[in-house]
Amino acid sequence: MKMTPAVIFAGSVLILAAVVAIVVVLPFYHTSQTEPSAIFRPRTAAESRGRQIYIENGCVYCHSQSVRTIDWGLGAERIARAGDYVEDRPILLGSQRTGPDLSQQGGEHPDDWHKAHFVNPRYTSPLSIMPAFEFLGEEKLDHLTAYVQSLGMKDADRRVARQEKWKQKAVEAYENGPDQNVQWLHSRVPEQWQKLPNPYGTSDAGLARGHKIYQDFCMGCHGPIGDGMGPAQPYLYPPPLNFTVLQDRGITGGILYYQIMNGITGTAMPYFKKHLESEKIWDVGNYVAVYFINQSDAGDNAGGIDAAYEP
Amino acid sequence: MTETETIKLSDYATAKGFCLTSAFWMMAATFMGLLGATELIAPAVTENIGGLVFGRVRPTHVNLVLFGFATPGLLAATFYFFPRVLQTRLYSEKLGVFTVIAWNIMLVCTVATLLSGNTQAREYAEMIWPVDILVVLAFALIVFNFFMTVQRRTEPLIYVSIWYACAAAVLTMLTYALGNVIWRPDGGALTGIPDAILLWFYGHNIFGLLLTPLSIGVAYYVVPKAIRAPLYSHTLSLLGFWALIVVYTHIGTHHLLQVPVPTWLKVVAIVDSIAMVIPVMAFLINIWYTARGKLGAIHADIGAKFVFTGTIMYFFVSIQGSMMALPQVQRVTHFNNWVVGHAHIGVLGFSGMIALGGLYYVLPRMTGKPLFSRFLADFQYWLILIGVVGFTVILTIAGLIQGNAWLNGETVYRVLPEIHLYYVIRAALGVLIFVSAVLGFYNIARTMFMPERGAG
Ligand code: HEC
Ligand code: HEC
Ligand code: HEM
Repeated sequence: MKMTPAVIFAGSVLILAAVVAIVVVLPFYHTSQTEPSAIFRPRTAAESRGRQIYIENGCVYCHSQSVRTIDWGLGAERIARAGDYVEDRPILLGSQRTGPDLSQQGGEHPDDWHKAHFVNPRYTSPLSIMPAFEFLGEEKLDHLTAYVQSLGMKDADRRVARQEKWKQKAVEAYENGPDQNVQWLHSRVPEQWQKLPNPYGTSDAGLARGHKIYQDFCMGCHGPIGDGMGPAQPYLYPPPLNFTVLQDRGITGGILYYQIMNGITGTAMPYFKKHLESEKIWDVGNYVAVYFINQSDAGDNAGGIDAAYEP
Repeated sequence: MTETETIKLSDYATAKGFCLTSAFWMMAATFMGLLGATELIAPAVTENIGGLVFGRVRPTHVNLVLFGFATPGLLAATFYFFPRVLQTRLYSEKLGVFTVIAWNIMLVCTVATLLSGNTQAREYAEMIWPVDILVVLAFALIVFNFFMTVQRRTEPLIYVSIWYACAAAVLTMLTYALGNVIWRPDGGALTGIPDAILLWFYGHNIFGLLLTPLSIGVAYYVVPKAIRAPLYSHTLSLLGFWALIVVYTHIGTHHLLQVPVPTWLKVVAIVDSIAMVIPVMAFLINIWYTARGKLGAIHADIGAKFVFTGTIMYFFVSIQGSMMALPQVQRVTHFNNWVVGHAHIGVLGFSGMIALGGLYYVLPRMTGKPLFSRFLADFQYWLILIGVVGFTVILTIAGLIQGNAWLNGETVYRVLPEIHLYYVIRAALGVLIFVSAVLGFYNIARTMFMPERGAG
């Protein structure tokens, strides 16, 4: 084959044209007819502005917006569909998960959590490597929050409405003073859990584990001494609980476990069931009970047979 | 290839311009990379400096590496060998120098826009419309210059390096315009899933139709020249060239295997990713057989040494890439640092090494002066080699930890402390690469501006 200029220039361009027809134009016709999915809804003006801020600050380089079939281990409830993206221009699928997927982020947390988190992610999540976005200023952070709360569209709207409903009650309870607040908090815990003592006795190893978990997950809100004065406190309302108010107010290991596992919807208190396995939740609960509340029922009710792992 | 008088008269202004462009922007690009790596260890270092948040630093790093360091470096060698191989002078050095200037303006605009948050947030297509226009314009000028030079050649046979250089320029001009949706200045994107498909068609062609053919072109020039031997096989050259254009362009969707795009398109991407073995091995067998038994001569020339190492990296990145296109492998590797490791063997180990090799090979020849310091160049070689191999090992380990932990149900947050150590080592290796860029710039600038010693 003799390579003349015509062969090189025209030949390669013709091949490119043929390939574009197959892998760009054809799929374009195939996919541009996509129907919106069941959860789809258009974005509001504030959400669109927030999306622009998301674009400008390169959130897409750390966060994907697509839940995969293989993400079930991370508790994925819904796999991404083509119809979720019909208004996304550009589409923001992302190629790295330095941080978690955000496609279903809306309503996972209340607005005040996002505020504290954007001002400095280390406030709510001490191990975070996400950049601080305080420099964006109040207004832009509000828009960004609106966008993040819209991720998941109709599903997100449901979750956000739930946050708002419980937020009202949480604020009311908090403003009625510690007695009422603790009562309200505990009224959300099923009765069997309320009566359940921590089944594992207090041990040095268990407390050491609890301490580490507290530092990595809780300290930014509840503070190093459990008084609720962590760096996130100024941004959160109701503020993080000062654990000493729980003393002599009927606290049990079961309540601590239940609240840590499920979080307190409406408040910034997140659920930890995806982050922490069962034993870790008991450990951090007992750490809080022993060091901050000064009342622990750990091992009070150890019945049955000795477990194989006991020393 | 005997040299005629007209060629000797050439001053290689364009090649020199791209040479300095590449050496300078390599410093800026690797600095940005190092900054980003540091932010992943200690996010507080740049806390609340808006222009330096990770999300802006990363695309600036990536675009400067692609368009500031690698591409101009490869173009420098290409603008040098183009007239020589064709036995003529470059059609227009003036036009070439103008291209270099436009190119640098484009790079300054890129940095300014990306750091100030003016971006389209599409990987490798971040630059906003006015900058896109500059890029397309620069490629158009290069295509024109190449084409006219080919027309004025006195050597009837067109050597394989020229095929690759011409194809890279013209195809990138077209795919860049297409991929950046240049007909829609407001945002430069399509909507929804079609946007993802187009983006990755284009994104993969930045490696497949720009970096790879330019690198191969330089390798095809430098290796036979350095060892003074003819190319092993014309047939393999042909096979490799056409297979590259046919196959590489099909595989962009392997970046989208886990999202809802049409299954038939995924199948095409996976099958052709495996078929990439054909163009890759056609080139590698050709170049390695050419060099067989003559590695001493390769080792003796610092440029050829860089280039030859680049071909070995090409082998590894491509075999790895073909494996990564298998859905079972991607279950573990997608979304994590494994891919970043792959990207660095490809862009730094393969294209970057060959770009530097090309620079060091042509620099003494076009200035008529010896390299300012062979030692520094050798030192740079080792810094980069250790850096890029280290990156690959470290990022692959980090990626495996992340990928398997996620499959195992550990949250992203839980895995952060597990990979912290690897981020630290990665940043340390980044220091080596940044230092190498500074040494390289010094070496190249000194060579270029050093007064002639004696008769020169
Ligand atoms: C350096 C990478 C990085 C960048 C850039 C980044 N993030 Fe994050 N993000 C993380 C990490 C890591 C986490 C997990 C730790 C945490 O909660 O902070 C996270 C967590 C989050 C969460 C909480 C998710 C959850 O379920 O708890 C939200 C919301 C979020 N990021 C939004 C954003 C937005 C919006 C931007 C852009 C303005 C952004 N991020 C930029 C890394 C990043
Ligand atoms: C983002 C801030 C934040 C983080 C992080 C956080 N909390 Fe909370 N926590 C709160 C808030 C806010 C409340 C509710 C205060 C209220 O309604 O008065 C709360 C309430 C609680 C309660 C409720 C007590 C009860 O008796 O019902 C417990 C227990 C608790 N947190 C433990 C933890 C532990 C353990 C961690 C770490 C694993 C943690 N929290 C992390 C903000 C936080
Ligand atoms: C046979 C050749 C190759 C194949 C089959 C291949 C395959 C792949 C695949 C499947 C991915 C996506 C990984 C993922 O997201 O899970 C990828 C990413 C990447 N590849 Fe390759 N690759 C090849 C060669 C190269 C070369 C030569 C280069 C550089 C010149 C390169 C640079 C990159 C880069 C930079 C990325 C990262 C893209 C991103 O930002 O996500 N690859 N490659």
